Amino acid sequence: MAREFELTRNITVGQYLPTGSFVHRLDPRIKLLACGILILAIAFCNSYGGNLIVLAFSCLLFRLSRIPLRYGLSGVKPAIPFIVILAVLQLLFYGDIASGGRVYLEYGLIVITSDSLRLVIVSALRFIEIIFVSSVLTLSTSTTQLTHGMESLLKPLGYLKFPVHEFSLIMTIALRFVPTFAMEMEKMIKAQASRGAEFGTGSWWQIFRRTKEMLPIIVPLFRVAMERAEDLILAMEARCYTPGGTRSRFRTYQTTFRDGLTLLFILCFSLLLWMYPFPY
Amino acid sequence: MGTVIEVEDLRYTYMENTPLAHQALAGVQLSVEEGECVAIIGHTGSGKSTLIQHFNGLLRPQQGRVRVDGQDLSDPGLDLKGLRRKVGLVFQNPEDQLFEKWVGDDVAFGPLKMGLPLKEVRDRVRWAMEMAGLSFEAMKDRPTYALSGGQKRKVALAGVLALRPKVLVLDEPTAGLDPRSRKELLGRIEGFNRREKMTVIFVSHNMEEVACLADRIFVMAAGQIVAQGTPREIFGNREVLLQHRIGAPETVEILYRIQGLGYPVDVGAYELDSAAAEIVSILRPQGVKSHGPGI
Repeated sequence: MAREFELTRNITVGQYLPTGSFVHRLDPRIKLLACGILILAIAFCNSYGGNLIVLAFSCLLFRLSRIPLRYGLSGVKPAIPFIVILAVLQLLFYGDIASGGRVYLEYGLIVITSDSLRLVIVSALRFIEIIFVSSVLTLSTSTTQLTHGMESLLKPLGYLKFPVHEFSLIMTIALRFVPTFAMEMEKMIKAQASRGAEFGTGSWWQIFRRTKEMLPIIVPLFRVAMERAEDLILAMEARCYTPGGTRSRFRTYQTTFRDGLTLLFILCFSLLLWMYPFPY
Repeated sequence: MGTVIEVEDLRYTYMENTPLAHQALAGVQLSVEEGECVAIIGHTGSGKSTLIQHFNGLLRPQQGRVRVDGQDLSDPGLDLKGLRRKVGLVFQNPEDQLFEKWVGDDVAFGPLKMGLPLKEVRDRVRWAMEMAGLSFEAMKDRPTYALSGGQKRKVALAGVLALRPKVLVLDEPTAGLDPRSRKELLGRIEGFNRREKMTVIFVSHNMEEVACLADRIFVMAAGQIVAQGTPREIFGNREVLLQHRIGAPETVEILYRIQGLGYPVDVGAYELDSAAAEIVSILRPQGVKSHGPGI
């Protein structure tokens, strides 16, 4: 009950945890690339052995960036329902497709084989690994760094008339305002509760009632968001922001030897995961 | 007259058990008597807002005790709804919280949630709006979005008053208002306290406001109450002012300067009239106290 209104603690997306570790100091572009490669490798790795290695490796990443593993686990928590539903569906209906190996159970349409069981376990593991790896990325990289890195990596698309800069600007603004609105919302919930509002009193099927209870928060929050957007436009125009203008940057990223080595290591590691015939 | 709010050794840490943990309250002791008007002052981040959110149970004590009107806030079976009716909390910039289309509906939100009969709701809305300085007949059918900032703030205040609280807690009630609305609002708040016998607790950065309204002042720093007393005791004590870097009302500043020049003045005379009397007294060489009008 004491935590009734502490909303900010529940938002781990875009939460940056500066510990100043090796991982934090890497070039954001390299981090993004490495993360992408690693996720790709995870997606293609379908052996027990390989996945256990990646799981251990992602735990090691948390150690290396000096971030408590608890943060990674809190990212997994909201995904558990999806993982479970996925697992149940795969277990029940994938027997026909992944029909190799021993047949454990056959009942009408439902076939469970050792291959489909492997698929279920490996999928769940992959899910968790991907959440871990991307959590390390977001926890160790500030949103500004992330979007700048993204913009820099997407630059080649500019030749295809893709609005890279605008895209990254939208991303920056969106991510920047997640914690702000979480705070606004917390304040709004508290203010309305102070004058008698109650939230979540109906059961989950009383959707109308529950939605109506949220109106005193949603309406003002929407207006506050609009006002903030207007302020932002004014602030940007006051500093002579012109869309499409050439812009220099306060912080430029220098790729060092250390970054290259990291990328090389991740590349090798991913290739190994992909190519090596794990016995299990 | 009993004690209405009693806080003992209250501690509160935001984001507890995370690397971002931040202790906002570090052992607060405070008690407020019924019918008092109390000011809480202190620099940004000293824990004022966290403290007042404990008064109506928005935050529950992590350590220590908070008793409001005899109820212990650590009690898990606490009647929160009842508590929030008893202690009305008006947040900073409350005009953001209006959401109904019509002024009257917005003020009626709280009483309707209490499940009161319509007649009673209407009476309460009328009373609350008049108390906040809005004419019921003229304003109840105005759209909320078409009001000025000061009017919106009054509507928000009326929304809390409609709960008929015993204790009114205000977080920087006059921040961002123009001088005239500021003065009017202060007069209203004084009225709630003096005429309606509400206990008023307010947070403010404006020392003139604090000086003219408060019976007692609590000074907060680093999550603790570092000084408390009547305005005379706080503003008349140079050490306390300097030690905690509290600004004093201009009257007090002037009296300190005059004292610094070697004249015998009572620096605790913070009210405009008595400060003027002090100055007049040193202007008259015989030391005759003036009985003329103030400034």
